[in-house]
Amino acid sequence: MEYYFQTRQLIVGYQGKPLVKHIEIGLSKGEIMTLVGPNGAGKSTLLKSIAGQLRLLGGAVFLDGKNTGQMSGRELSQKMAVVFTEKMQTELMTCEDVVATGRYPYTGYFGILSKKDRALVGEAMELVHVSGIRHQDFTEVSDGQRQRVMLARAIAQEPEVIVMDEPVSFLDIRHKLEFLSVLLALREKKGLTVIMSLHELELAKIVSDKILCLKGEYVEGYGPPEEIFRGDFIKRLFGLSEENFQGNEKLLGYLGRVGRGE
Amino acid sequence: MRDKREHRCLLAYILLALGVLGLFILNVCIGSVGIPLSEIAGALTGREGDGTSVRILWDIRLPRAAAGFLLGGALSLSGYLLQTFFNNPIAGPFVLGISSGAKMAVALVMVFFMRWQILSGREVRVTSAFMILAAFLGAMLSMGFVLLMSRKVSHMSMLVVSGVMIGYICSAVTELVVTFASDAQIVNLHNWSRGSFSGMTWENVQVMAVVSVPAFAAVFLLSKPLSAYRLGEIYARNMGVNLKFLRVCLVMLSSILSACVVAFAGPISFVGIATPHLVRKLSGTAQPLKMIPACFLGGSVFCLFSDLLARTLLAPTELSISTVTAIFGAPVVLWIMSERRKGRAA
Repeated sequence: MEYYFQTRQLIVGYQGKPLVKHIEIGLSKGEIMTLVGPNGAGKSTLLKSIAGQLRLLGGAVFLDGKNTGQMSGRELSQKMAVVFTEKMQTELMTCEDVVATGRYPYTGYFGILSKKDRALVGEAMELVHVSGIRHQDFTEVSDGQRQRVMLARAIAQEPEVIVMDEPVSFLDIRHKLEFLSVLLALREKKGLTVIMSLHELELAKIVSDKILCLKGEYVEGYGPPEEIFRGDFIKRLFGLSEENFQGNEKLLGYLGRVGRGE
Repeated sequence: MRDKREHRCLLAYILLALGVLGLFILNVCIGSVGIPLSEIAGALTGREGDGTSVRILWDIRLPRAAAGFLLGGALSLSGYLLQTFFNNPIAGPFVLGISSGAKMAVALVMVFFMRWQILSGREVRVTSAFMILAAFLGAMLSMGFVLLMSRKVSHMSMLVVSGVMIGYICSAVTELVVTFASDAQIVNLHNWSRGSFSGMTWENVQVMAVVSVPAFAAVFLLSKPLSAYRLGEIYARNMGVNLKFLRVCLVMLSSILSACVVAFAGPISFVGIATPHLVRKLSGTAQPLKMIPACFLGGSVFCLFSDLLARTLLAPTELSISTVTAIFGAPVVLWIMSERRKGRAA
């Protein structure tokens, strides 16, 4: 079957050293795929490779039937946007300025925004509910707001696919949920295909259409969440012993009670 | 909101342009030899008046002011590019040892050629273009070391420390060369190696214009990819920027610009680091498209102002230009660092 987003025999890694091999992903338009797995399993490496940030060590990524490796930088940038944690020089930039950088692939030689560009920037900010902080300095907003601004930036790029590396890791639980619900709404409205990594397994279970488990050299499992979360698969993925797992559940329960103020 | 910001930026441009114009005029009018204003006007327009003042104005003060304008702009732009490239607010051609590398190469060339001239008895003129080339190679040498170090050390202050060390090594080599130079050469080298705009000729100004104006244009044409580069590599690449090409351009252009300054005026400290920050504060924008021309003008203002003080404060003795730029520039650097600390704590 021909998928909208597809990888074939993908091999990813750093500096010529393969880290994960034979990755076969197939996603229909508008699906959300989440990567899960322990630290160092290659989640970021895979995401960077998919987004054209790292040279592929083998195989290919196809978007709408086209090999992304053969697209020009501009062409790819109009189809795929990213949200990564990066060291940015954003002094004197308002949140709106940051979102406006998403228009880069569409503006002319000097990058001057047209009326249409401005309208799209405004719309993107509206969609993720950050219109209120439009004029605030980007360096002064909270972590939750910052992530949403970066999501708005990605949307302003009018992509078909958004690739995100742990977009909610530094957010508190309320902001995690807020961010993901915005994502779900976007999928409804824009038919966006989302590929991201999450550490929060419970959340991954709720939002994802497909889950890809990474551990070691090969993909450990790939499929809808119901399948992945069946049995003790996750326990094995993270290398937790029975005792350990039980212990963790107790710990989680305890933390939950403390959190509720019991 | 947007209007307000644009007004502020426009105001900054007007101020900078007035600053350049005003300081240029002051630099032409004031000097160790007092020339009455009426005579200056006459000498400049119709080349009237007595021969001495015409010569002082046309052959000394005007080319010197023009050099201050061009080299100041070049320095500031070079600092701006380095700060953007290394994502480091205290980067600049002087602290990263790039000026010192260029200085070393120029000193070597000067001494070597002069010795050769004495030994062979042949008259050799070291042309301005040749000096720039030597300075450029020296600058690239230092830049190469800094780039190597930047791969090993990721911390911002460590990069600056390694730049300062490279600067010391180059200065040591320069001193060594100077020790073996003959007396007459030393005087020459010594003045130049402290940094000074004195003794500029129209020929010098022509060459520096030929180098710095196209370099400025090239930087300006890169303003869009530069704005993407500020968001970091991943976002820049995601927006379709050819990072390799942009990096090569940044390294080459910042080296050419600082080499041009060193070849003519010697190493000048703090203009490169301080000006971009001052200009950003003044204009309230960090957008490269607006920053690049403003940076150039800001550097010109800084250098014309500093040169005016260097020439007039203790006239007829001239201070080295770096003495003045350091007094005004170093506090700016301290201020930048304390501001950043505050920003992080908040």
